[in-house]
Amino acid sequence: MTIFTLAIKYLRGRFVASTLTAVSIALGVSLVVASVLLARGIREGFIAGATDYNLVVGAKGSPTQLVLGVVFRMDLATPNIPYTVYEDLLRDPRVEAAVPIGVGDAYRGFRYVASNSAYFAAYPWRRKAFTLAAGRFFADNSPNEPSYEAVLGAEAARSTGLQIGDRFYEGEEMAEYPLAVVGILRPTGSADDRAIFFSLPSYWGMNEVARAMVVKPLTAVLVRPKRMSDLPSLHREINVTPDTQAVLPSGVLLTIFNMMAVAEDVLKMILVTVGVIVLLYVFVSMYSATIERRREIATMRALGARRASVLTIILAESAALATVGGLGGIVGGHVIAYLAGALLGSSGLVTNPLRFDVFEPAVLGGVIVLGTLAGLLPAVLAYRTEVAENLAPLS
Amino acid sequence: MHRCPNPTRNSRKLGTWLAAVFLAVNVSLAALAGTEEVPRLTFAQLVDAIRADSEVTETIKSYNGKEVAIQGFIVPTGPPDLSFFLLSRVSALGNYCCEAPVGQDETVYVYTAKEVNITYDPLRIFRVVGVFEAGMRSDASYGPSLFRMRDARVEEALGAKLLKTADFPNAAAKP
Repeated sequence: MTIFTLAIKYLRGRFVASTLTAVSIALGVSLVVASVLLARGIREGFIAGATDYNLVVGAKGSPTQLVLGVVFRMDLATPNIPYTVYEDLLRDPRVEAAVPIGVGDAYRGFRYVASNSAYFAAYPWRRKAFTLAAGRFFADNSPNEPSYEAVLGAEAARSTGLQIGDRFYEGEEMAEYPLAVVGILRPTGSADDRAIFFSLPSYWGMNEVARAMVVKPLTAVLVRPKRMSDLPSLHREINVTPDTQAVLPSGVLLTIFNMMAVAEDVLKMILVTVGVIVLLYVFVSMYSATIERRREIATMRALGARRASVLTIILAESAALATVGGLGGIVGGHVIAYLAGALLGSSGLVTNPLRFDVFEPAVLGGVIVLGTLAGLLPAVLAYRTEVAENLAPLS
Repeated sequence: MHRCPNPTRNSRKLGTWLAAVFLAVNVSLAALAGTEEVPRLTFAQLVDAIRADSEVTETIKSYNGKEVAIQGFIVPTGPPDLSFFLLSRVSALGNYCCEAPVGQDETVYVYTAKEVNITYDPLRIFRVVGVFEAGMRSDASYGPSLFRMRDARVEEALGAKLLKTADFPNAAAKP
């Protein structure tokens, strides 16, 4: 019988205690793995969902609200700006592309996004591509003849169950202006999957106030300049006007990442504490096991086992516990991240919670080393067990 | 008597330790100085390098393909992972309290090599080291540009770091 089979036999001898120790290691590790995966998933979700346009122009106010509302559709829409802002930007010689956007209501929580065909246009510089799974895009129509045609994002279509040709509206007063589904988009991995798109004239036509307005309202304009180096001057010119602000969306996201980093630091401290508690638990478990086993160890020694063998057995036991717990924790962490990702899925922020990461072998290695170290003191205790003392009759 | 600790030997030991620490510090300083050897370009040099026909001078072109360091503000015009951004003499997000925004003559298009691991701050100067490229060229993703840096890495500007340490002597020396 080798030392390792002996160690495994000992562990199975204390089956309940060993299982609980391994489970507590697994829980600690899965907490660490799940937190790291989710934090990274949220960050990557933001990066993947970022707009290809470099400047977002909207009403004065919070830049964060403007970007979260217009690009990620998470915050409330900012106040309106006049349509002339878009026309001026379109005429600006420094601007290569400008896209008007109106956001406001929603159907069953899926936001209405009014724009024109430029929103879906494929430019060579665009990373994002819009393709239709079914139907066609809505036509750009004149303000007087709104078509009330809608194109649904993949998730919006799946969740609402709307099909091409279906008509829908939300709220009784909108029954007069039902939207007809003419197209369904393929998934893009961004907030656009949960949006319902239609033309700006339809957007204005649905709203009593906007119908009567001479200069129609917009929420924001997305801008791509011909030269990136013109962005600072565009940004400034728009920001010094009393009504509009220009925002670099990446700047807003980087600021959000900085805030998330503070929360992640707090999380790291909590995780370290959890790690220490788990290690203490392993230590206590191995320690009490060794105390209980003094007599057996003394017997083994009396039968000729070397001190080093006894030391190795205890270390092998804690290493085995740490390995099983660590592997279980990595699997568990992915499961937790997947479940949490599915739970947060409606906001569409978490991406790839199942992807294996390079940090995980490091976590597993660390757990095995630290878990083995937690068994070191009990092992030394076993090493120093005096044969004569512990073989004395139990009175 | 001979069991008493020998003060001279102890102090000699201490001296050896001190010498070792001193040496280690010197070596690390030398390593720091090693990164300083990358030639530094300033925005003033870039402006001076532009001729009337909006071409750039041969002097600045001599840096083409070489690694240089430029210090400036990060204007995050590319994706939020900072794989591309503009490095400018003026911060784009400081409300331009003191200076008007600058154009392409004082803007460097930076393409980073790998993940940028900095705490982004629009009001802070960063030191960017990368392979320099001068001359008008157009890029499918980011349009025409005059000055570029490729395979770039972003560091905190050393001056700013020293100031921070001096201001907060109790702060942990965390980069």
